[in-house]
Amino acid sequence: MFSVVRSKLAFVVKAALLALISAVLLLLAQSALAQKEYVIGGFLFVVIILTLVTYLTKKSIPLKFFLPGILLLVAFVVSPILYTVTMSGFNYKTGNIVSKDEAILQIKNRAFEPDTAGTSFDIKIGTLQGKHAILISDIKNKSYFISTTEKRVPVPTAQVKLNENQVAQSAVGFEPLPVDQLAAADSQYSGKRFIYDGAYFLSLEGLDVAIVARQTLTYIAQADSFKNLIDGTTYRDNGRGNYQAESGSKAILEPGWRAPIWFENYSKLFTDSRFRNPLIRVFIWTVIFASATVLTTFALGLLLALALNKPLHGRRIYRSILVLPYAMPSVMSILIWGGMFNTEFGAINTLLGTHVAWFQSANFARLAVILVNLWLGFPYFYLVSSGALQAIPNELLEAAAIDGANPRQIFRKITLPLLLKILSPLLIASFAFNFNNFNLIYLLTGGGPRNTLDGEIAGATDILISYTYQIAFGSSTQDLGLASAISLIIFILVGSISLYGIRKSKVLESFS
Amino acid sequence: MNKWLKQDLWRHIVAIITVLFAIFPLYLVVISSFNSSGSLQITSFVPREFSWNNYKLLFTSPAIPYLTWMKNSLVVAGSVAFISVVIGSASAFAFSRLNFKGRKQGIQVLLLVQMFPAILAISAVYVIMERVHAFAPGIGLGTQGGLILVYLGGAMGVNIWLLKGFVDSIPKELDEAAKIDGASEVQTFWLIFIPLATPVLAVVTLLSFIGTFNEFILARLFLVDMQSRTIAVGLQQFIGGQYSQNWGPFAAGSIIASIPIVTIFLSLQKYIVNGLTAGSVKG
Repeated sequence: MFSVVRSKLAFVVKAALLALISAVLLLLAQSALAQKEYVIGGFLFVVIILTLVTYLTKKSIPLKFFLPGILLLVAFVVSPILYTVTMSGFNYKTGNIVSKDEAILQIKNRAFEPDTAGTSFDIKIGTLQGKHAILISDIKNKSYFISTTEKRVPVPTAQVKLNENQVAQSAVGFEPLPVDQLAAADSQYSGKRFIYDGAYFLSLEGLDVAIVARQTLTYIAQADSFKNLIDGTTYRDNGRGNYQAESGSKAILEPGWRAPIWFENYSKLFTDSRFRNPLIRVFIWTVIFASATVLTTFALGLLLALALNKPLHGRRIYRSILVLPYAMPSVMSILIWGGMFNTEFGAINTLLGTHVAWFQSANFARLAVILVNLWLGFPYFYLVSSGALQAIPNELLEAAAIDGANPRQIFRKITLPLLLKILSPLLIASFAFNFNNFNLIYLLTGGGPRNTLDGEIAGATDILISYTYQIAFGSSTQDLGLASAISLIIFILVGSISLYGIRKSKVLESFS
Repeated sequence: MNKWLKQDLWRHIVAIITVLFAIFPLYLVVISSFNSSGSLQITSFVPREFSWNNYKLLFTSPAIPYLTWMKNSLVVAGSVAFISVVIGSASAFAFSRLNFKGRKQGIQVLLLVQMFPAILAISAVYVIMERVHAFAPGIGLGTQGGLILVYLGGAMGVNIWLLKGFVDSIPKELDEAAKIDGASEVQTFWLIFIPLATPVLAVVTLLSFIGTFNEFILARLFLVDMQSRTIAVGLQQFIGGQYSQNWGPFAAGSIIASIPIVTIFLSLQKYIVNGLTAGSVKG
């Protein structure tokens, strides 16, 4: 009886939960579709269907267990990876962010010039028969008219109400917008073209002035090109995300759109010296940085492990202090070190009695980065080396001692090779981790020092990942396409290193 | 005496020098947090005064919404840790115990995916979440909800992988016995596996909490608004290059923020070290 009630209750809870989740997702999917985000909307619909099918039928028991995990992985890990791959094939950067349709629309809207006299009128915004309209006061000619995007209606002077400056405030048939709606109306009115005369139209400059202007560029859909109405220049799709003048100046129209350029982001990295040289420099420093970090942290950690590998007075105290750098939140530690390296007041200069501008000089900055990373990383290798030392059978060492080997020989011929064998997967993993140690670089030196005057993006301590971040978000031109291409190259590099490490640790064998 | 010198002296020297190196920055932060002038400048390495000024400033100054940042960090890291372990353990259970087509391939894909450093896809995450923000302002770029979702996705790979290792180590006989008694897979999971694995799940939850608490770059990209920042982003922006001005409160703030993490870490040390070496020492 009890179990029946319980299972009924469980069913009700389950049904309610499922209904709630599907309702929320459905709402999201709908608004995604309304915003023309078809891929995201479609994904959400698939999620809803999968969820309902999985939990309402008995089709697949395993799926009941891992569906939520898989969905999260697909949504926030796999799809960003795929999107990165896609972006790397596009000309996706500042000036080429929007879609082509949006770019055409923006070019059309921006392409107008004021008439030669620079005529402007005082206006009042409002509605005419429910449509957006403006009431224009041509004070000079004492003429008043209402204009919408479709027609122009003259208004006899008798039918307008003027203020002291002869500006019409309202007119018969024209509903002025209430003051409290003005701010919100800005986006609806600006950018609209109100009828004026022939090729000329009225465009709003703020909320109470309109200027007379005419269109300079017209879009010819059949030819997919823009034509300048004044000088006749034709601008065509140059295949790289911009409309470009066919002859003469080769000028391009702003904005461009994100256009597929296939492998250009990659080929540029290997053939164009402006991209290749910094990339090679950064790559070399990344390898040096990661290797130096692994070497120094491992060396110090191992030395400590050896020193403390025997009952010793105060060993527990040593041990608990030595792990502190590893236990501290690394963001805090790095920021603290940043303060210590301060040129004017920093503790390091005070302690050494020097006046070194650590982060202004390339080599000092590099030294500081490695030193701080040594501080952050040595406890890890101390801990794992201690563990590994315990794992080396004592008989082996005793046998060597009986055979007459001295301690140094025992260490060099037996302990070290065995340790390296045990720890090599961890050394490789540490290399892979430091290869992408973004936080350290970003928080300590910001990749600098860099020569920004020459427009340099790569700094002296920039590693590949922080360089990528600079390209994507740091500099004035945000080049997401190029950044994605570098990201994927890093992934292939680090992925191969990690796979090699995993092979070594034989994790894959345990699958069978 | 001579023997002691020969055998142990070098050990103590190595240990003491490294201890000094390890403790120096921490000591410095502690003494400057109690220095009322809040200056980065060290006039003496021996503390001259003891004042709670910087700490008081953290909780009273409107320029540093310290408590809000702390609360944000706890909420974000706490929910990510809890939810990711609940979801992750179910997936890990399936991968470890249930037989289904494509299980082996699934594990290999998982291994590959969890190797991809989240930071590499950061531009894609940024663009995607910016688009999400356009239709769902509650979970897009700039919101803690969106950040939690992205963290959850990122935590999945590692957590499933880690938990699968733990599930593998629980004897199979128990759930086989349950199966014979007529329990379904879902019942086995809730009634046998979860109670058995609770200590392990707690450890993984805490580890996941530390990891998320420490995360900086996604939080930096997502949480622009002063009131929504996590403690890591808040303190980094607060110090933001102006080390000399804000050093005192920063020192106090980073000490308070570190205490829970260091405490959790030290109490879990055994598990952390085991987890780090598992699979290597064995092989």
